[in-house]
Amino acid sequence: MVLELRNAKKTFGEGNTLVEALKETNFLVERGELVAVIGPSGSGKSTFLTVAGGLQSPSEGQVIINGNELSQLNEKQRSKIRLQEIGFILQASNLVPFLSVDQQLELLNKVKKNNISRVEKKQLYEDLGITKLHKKYPSDLSGGERQRVAIAKALFSNPSIILADEPTASLDSDRAFEVMELLQHETKSKQTATIVVTHDTRLIKYFDKVYKMTDGVLTLDTTIYE
Amino acid sequence: MFLAWSEIKRNKLRFLLITSILLLVSFLVFFLSGLANGLASMNREAVDNWDADAIVLTEESDKSLYQSSLDKDLADELGAKETAVVSQMGSIVNNGDAKKNVLLFGINKDEFITPKLSEGDPTFYVQNGVVASDALKDDGFKIGDTLELSSSDTELTIVGFTEKARFNAAPVLYMKLNDLQKIKFGESYEMNKNMVNAIIIKDSKWINLDIPKDTEIIKSETFIENLPGYTEQNLTVTYMIYFLFVISAAIVAIFLYVLTVQKISMFGLMKAQGISSSYLAKSVVAQTFILALIGVVLGFGLTLLAGSFLPSAVPVQFDLPAMLSYGLVLIAVSIAGAVISVWTIIRIDPLKAIGG
Ligand SMILES: Nc1ncnc2c1ncn2[C@@H]1O[C@H](COP(=O)(O)OP(=O)(O)O)[C@@H](O)[C@H]1O
Ligand SMILES: [Mg+2]
Repeated sequence: MVLELRNAKKTFGEGNTLVEALKETNFLVERGELVAVIGPSGSGKSTFLTVAGGLQSPSEGQVIINGNELSQLNEKQRSKIRLQEIGFILQASNLVPFLSVDQQLELLNKVKKNNISRVEKKQLYEDLGITKLHKKYPSDLSGGERQRVAIAKALFSNPSIILADEPTASLDSDRAFEVMELLQHETKSKQTATIVVTHDTRLIKYFDKVYKMTDGVLTLDTTIYE
Repeated sequence: MFLAWSEIKRNKLRFLLITSILLLVSFLVFFLSGLANGLASMNREAVDNWDADAIVLTEESDKSLYQSSLDKDLADELGAKETAVVSQMGSIVNNGDAKKNVLLFGINKDEFITPKLSEGDPTFYVQNGVVASDALKDDGFKIGDTLELSSSDTELTIVGFTEKARFNAAPVLYMKLNDLQKIKFGESYEMNKNMVNAIIIKDSKWINLDIPKDTEIIKSETFIENLPGYTEQNLTVTYMIYFLFVISAAIVAIFLYVLTVQKISMFGLMKAQGISSSYLAKSVVAQTFILALIGVVLGFGLTLLAGSFLPSAVPVQFDLPAMLSYGLVLIAVSIAGAVISVWTIIRIDPLKAIGG
């Protein structure tokens, strides 16, 4: 498995103000798996995703990425794991406003290792339908185009894990489906472990597994396959 | 560099503003440094030109050439490598067209402070001939001019000009010691003819010289610093320049900070994606460096351009090494102004950018 949470728990504050944003959670995801975490706003989805992505440490329990237990690492090493192993896709404004599409990737090329080759990049551009956009700036792109570029960025350094937080929130249905199809395709072809946080139940058909998040409790939802 | 430069190219207007402010500040700094240099030259260039090590004055003169009076025979008793005597007198000269406040310096031929001529007759030791500071040329004085003196009936004749011969803001006229003594002392010439204002010493070991009790020997530089108004003038302009350094650091700091704050969520996002704080911080520093460099270089050009249009009466004299170092300091303080922004970037929590 690529990503595992073992008895991971995240609380904020103490005493009266204690919030258990993520209750004790066990979670596994494999390469080539596209997984959804669905739940209402405030249920703990983002907390789950950021703990899983090493952006914050769990209050208790362990997060293991490719065999590395994150709590054993210092901040610098964790940042390196994020850099090499994880591709983040966020709700919006994922892009650097003053860089063109090409430059967004060039920036990653400068700071990241194990980037995809030139040929693969061309293929990625084509897969994502952004070949014609390569000279454009984010302000000239539509919401859907921006998310496609964001996906290209996330995939650029060959991550083993893709974490997407509401990647379709700013898109209309058609665009949202398009983006999901892309994520599905890339997950299979690049064999990444992809976790998508969303509250949009229309997207369920794209996922291999769907987890439900309610008040910090993560449960595998088997009902949707019936 | 890549990130820094891409942003500048994309947001030209924004960065043009800060660059033009830096340009103006550096223009002001360069101009003031030229002014400081010009004012200093007006006061000291004659002394600098002597290339002397020290000067002997009477103790009670309080380091003032004008107040000092000693016997010229002392020069030989000192045992210094080279000596030169100077007798000085202030006067107003009039060539018929123009009047000018000057200093008459009576000197002995063949002593080391004898001026080199830039123009005129090398045998200036004709009766009452003077070698004048070429600053007088700007006022229309020329070789052959007969000069009336405000305080005497004696007339002087300009026989030559020499470069770099201003002292305490007045042009110097060098002349034969005895001619000056006659003008200076008039009827009491016989009694005072041996009394000069100072003995100039060229001897690197001047500190070991034995001098009479009521005299003192001071370094040339000390002598210059004690010229009336010299140090005060210098400090004033120097402080203005220092304030400009502080101001430009503050301007850059505020401007960059505003820009950085606007980009906090973007920086957070980049950090979440694994781009390190140090890369982002370096980019801000690089940006500051680019802007400051462009501003300072343009300011430098503007200064030289403006300088070439100045009337000669403006005592601005550019000193390239000084300008270069001021330019470097400006770039350095600008980069120091980026520190707050760097600190802000380091503290950005990538989690906030993702914040659900
Ligand atoms: N840094 C934090 N400090 C305090 N409470 C937090 C913090 N982050 C999240 N929470 C709380 O944890 C709960 C889950 O939040 P979040 O994970 O953002 O939910 P979702 O992404 O599902 O909307 C919320 O009640 C939220 O107020
Ligand atoms: Mg959220």
